[in-house]
Amino acid sequence: MSTKNKKAAGGNGVAPKQTRQQSHDSQDYSSFKTVLFYCMLIVFLPVLTFFVLKGFVLDQFLDISEVKVNIASAVGAVVALHIALGLYIYRAYFGAPGSKGSKTD
Amino acid sequence: MSSEVSSDNPIYGPFFGVMGAASAIIFSALGAAYGTAKSGTGIAAMSVMRPELIMKSIIPVVMAGIIAIYGLVVAVLIAGALEEPSKYSLYRGFIHLGAGLAVGFSGLAAGFAIGIVGDAGVRGTAQQPRLFVGMILILIFAEVLGLYGLIVAIYLYTK
Repeated sequence: MSTKNKKAAGGNGVAPKQTRQQSHDSQDYSSFKTVLFYCMLIVFLPVLTFFVLKGFVLDQFLDISEVKVNIASAVGAVVALHIALGLYIYRAYFGAPGSKGSKTD
Repeated sequence: MSSEVSSDNPIYGPFFGVMGAASAIIFSALGAAYGTAKSGTGIAAMSVMRPELIMKSIIPVVMAGIIAIYGLVVAVLIAGALEEPSKYSLYRGFIHLGAGLAVGFSGLAAGFAIGIVGDAGVRGTAQQPRLFVGMILILIFAEVLGLYGLIVAIYLYTK
């Protein structure tokens, strides 16, 4: 909504201003997509890992007790969570394409 | 069936386990909410001048969210072990209450730390980008406080 307003405000200006605005919008969109992807990964991966591991471990190794299955799934979920968090921090620190030099004014 | 209550399996035994599961998620979510809100104000203030740093500055919010996932894991574990009073000893109730409180209050403390550090760190990173590494390190040290609580809770749960 705010981008639309900005575009409308910049529409009667000169052409380079508009293209810069568009490039800002596309950068914002790509960084939003990245952040959304990693946040979804961090939120849903551990939950998914917990229940998949619980079902899978219960299916495969029926000889171990219920408590151990729960512990294994919990530890697996936390490990998966930290892997996802590490990926996000790595991406934010090293990758972050489009976040460099975009401060134009 | 539930008439087999004794002093070891009293009718109020599961109360402690239920309170453990509830306190695990309640206090963790409290800490996570404080961390998200406090660092969120920092991000909002910082993004006005440096919108390109948003991806870096979301990290405190993500770390505060992880605190709540710790509480969720323990709460689900405890809730899965709850049974009716005849099969659920008072001792297990105490264990589960202790596990829930361990992860809950650790999460509360870690969430407070993440909120305060995230707020100041994000504002500082906008002025001096080299602060980012330091902010991440401090956030990780705040985060492991919650992880210690989770480890103790899981260890208690196995008793």
